[in-house]
Amino acid sequence: MKRILVFALAAFFGAQAHAAGDAGSGQQKSQACAACHGADGNAPTGPDFPRLAGQHYDYLLKALHDYKSGARKNPIMGGQVAGLSAQDMADLAAYYSSQKGSLHVIR
Amino acid sequence: MRIPLAAALLVLSLPAYAQGNAEAAKGKISMCIGCHGIPMYKTAFPEVYSVPMIAGQSPEYIVKALQAYRAGDRSHPTMRGIAKGLSDQDMADVAAYYGKGAK
Repeated sequence: MKRILVFALAAFFGAQAHAAGDAGSGQQKSQACAACHGADGNAPTGPDFPRLAGQHYDYLLKALHDYKSGARKNPIMGGQVAGLSAQDMADLAAYYSSQKGSLHVIR
Repeated sequence: MRIPLAAALLVLSLPAYAQGNAEAAKGKISMCIGCHGIPMYKTAFPEVYSVPMIAGQSPEYIVKALQAYRAGDRSHPTMRGIAKGLSDQDMADVAAYYGKGAK
């Protein structure tokens, strides 16, 4: 019983850790994103495209994974993420979350 | 005389989005602030990750996100439940509130 728990915990933390994002690599991979979200993710080119700059890393990563799995459906983003690896997504999330942006929390 | 008519037709031909009222949203955001009003708040279900910051997104994006939850195109169960209870006007109002100042 204890052993199963240890394995489960190891699997969980292993999965979390397996692709830490690198912001520098993310910037290199962000050209296609910039066309709609702006160079630093803070100047979307369409009114209904989201700002990405400064958004939380784990939320951005989840969004990309959800587009890839189909849990989040959007014709543009579904196509964009099709060719991205888990490492690419982690790098992109690291890049955009590290940019200064105007997103904030209000009550 | 023709210009006002053309202008009126242009306005009428714009997508029929409800006009948002940030002031009216104040009575409608009680369900939002429990998660989106707390810095660094994380969802605990079905996965643990940070709740997105929504203040500063454009109103158009916020409406689109809410519509996607309502339609089932986004999966978060809590947001689906909340969005299903919102009218188009509610969505526009909430979007105006959180998108205030966003360009």
